[in-house]
Amino acid sequence: MPVDDRPGDGDGNEATTGTPLISGTNVVKEYQTGGQTIRALKRIDFRIDEADSVAIVGPSGSGKSTLLNLLGLLDVPTSGEIRLRKQDVATLSDSERNRERKQTIGFVFQSYYLIPTLTALENVEMPRMLDRTPKKTRDRATELLERVGLSDRLDHAPDELSGGQKQRVAIARSLINDPELVLADEPTGNLDRDTGDQILDLFEELRAEEGVAVVMVTHDEYVAEAADRVVNLVDGTLRAPDTATRADGGHRDRE
Amino acid sequence: MSRLYRLTGRFPVVVIAWRNVSRAKARSALAAAAIVIGVVAIGAIGAGGAAFKQSQFQSIQEQGATDVFVAPGIDKEPGHFDREDVKAIEETVGSAGVVATRGGEAEWVRRGDRRESVSITYMDDPRSLYTINDGAIPENWRRSIVVSNEFAQEHGLGPESRLTLALDEDTGATYRVVAVLAATQGFGSSDVYLPIEQAPAREYDQVRVRTRSVDRAESTADALRERFNDREDRLLVFELTSLVRLLKTIVNGINVFLTGLGSISLLVAGVSITNTMLMAVIKRREEIGVLRATGYGKADIVRILLVEAVILGVIGVVVGLAIAFVVASVANAIFLGDPLAFTSDSLLYLLGAAAFGILTSLIAGAYPAWRAANERPVDALRG
Repeated sequence: MPVDDRPGDGDGNEATTGTPLISGTNVVKEYQTGGQTIRALKRIDFRIDEADSVAIVGPSGSGKSTLLNLLGLLDVPTSGEIRLRKQDVATLSDSERNRERKQTIGFVFQSYYLIPTLTALENVEMPRMLDRTPKKTRDRATELLERVGLSDRLDHAPDELSGGQKQRVAIARSLINDPELVLADEPTGNLDRDTGDQILDLFEELRAEEGVAVVMVTHDEYVAEAADRVVNLVDGTLRAPDTATRADGGHRDRE
Repeated sequence: MSRLYRLTGRFPVVVIAWRNVSRAKARSALAAAAIVIGVVAIGAIGAGGAAFKQSQFQSIQEQGATDVFVAPGIDKEPGHFDREDVKAIEETVGSAGVVATRGGEAEWVRRGDRRESVSITYMDDPRSLYTINDGAIPENWRRSIVVSNEFAQEHGLGPESRLTLALDEDTGATYRVVAVLAATQGFGSSDVYLPIEQAPAREYDQVRVRTRSVDRAESTADALRERFNDREDRLLVFELTSLVRLLKTIVNGINVFLTGLGSISLLVAGVSITNTMLMAVIKRREEIGVLRATGYGKADIVRILLVEAVILGVIGVVVGLAIAFVVASVANAIFLGDPLAFTSDSLLYLLGAAAFGILTSLIAGAYPAWRAANERPVDALRG
């Protein structure tokens, strides 16, 4: 996610080829809390391309979650513009945004948020359960669980799985609708370093194999190192990454 | 892929809802139990009441709802019927059977000069109104006495017993019992029956017209009123049909009132389901947030939660109906003598209780469902 230094110009993608998957211009997000207006994001620009690998790093309260919610179409900016491909998301209705989110975006959370009453396989199927294509959905879910290395845990309930296994199920779930973007909120936050490494490797593999863009939010510099690009979010503004952390300035060539 | 899976795959909302209901078993069971109580209250009270009503009408029928009772009216001079009057009534009602009686009282002189008051009906032939249980009435019945079943039982009388009856202060006459009547719920029965010849005068104070149906009783009564009560009230005509109608209104009113009280328990059940669902929704806040994040629309969330509420309702209704059915069968057995003698009224009450139970759960689930669906996933997932 480059910090677009150029002033918000039309569609501003001269720097890279093609339409960005999702891009933001002059994005501001404010919250009302107890009569006070809190400005969580202060006029930021961003773009994410296909098969991007981006880490958003920042301390808590820096606006990471807010940004993630905007990227995930869970929220709309107070001002500024977010475009999904070329579509201004502010023009989408609630249910249209819902549909776009379902087709385009997968979520992975720190606390996994698996549904305890469903088996691993059913949890993966969950986003597609209402489509009434049980056979197709089950085949794809089985395939994905095999892909994340859980082919022997299909019928296990979430509480019979370890943290790493739960996160694998969650990753498989995020991929069930073949999204173009996976948003991961502290995906290794509840895992030990070894398990966390495995999860990060899995993300990298999936990105390479499925061509999915992965955006991770973390406060952990170690996790950020796994991404191609790192963006620092401090106090609601994007900063170029510390050169001490990332020598290449945040934009590394992808293979 | 199993056939069951293909089937449940067609109804994913039901599958998800069912899993959620079975997750908090105790809480779900309690919410369903509230519905059970409501359904039992409405179903059992309604169906039991219907059975009671039915039994009351049956006994009214047995007591002579097909009969028309005729007494001298206030303008009748003298204040009794004689042979001519009875003949006139007979002419008016046509082929229907007319039984003229006279009521009276006498003292039963018992051993040691103890005296006890007994009611007497003087009539031509008790068999025209009652059946004989024991003994027989002779062809030419002029002096012997017939006693009612209750009276015979109470005093240990039977055929060949003897009674001394005294009118006023005289020493009385002794009668031989020839027959004991069968027990009857009959309206206007007395302790003993004597031939009309034994009456102080050949006068009647009541005429009973026997018809074959309630409708005929009504038209006979109308005919009598028209014929004799044109200008003055010469006859007091009384048929049970009008009474039956009044009773029906009263019993129905009471039943509706009681069922209404029963519905209050369903209201409580609705509150309980709302409470259960609200707790579930709060507990599953993040989970619902995840559903929303992964593309479930508000309508999908509402649907899932409403199905959950209805599942609770259906469980409650099924169990409640089973219990109400048993209770109603017991009521049927008690009042109507047959556990399966369900009237259309009682079936309607059971059906109504079921429909009401499910409707209650649906309404009760609406607010929690609406609240869960309108929670923004952002807020739910903030943790």
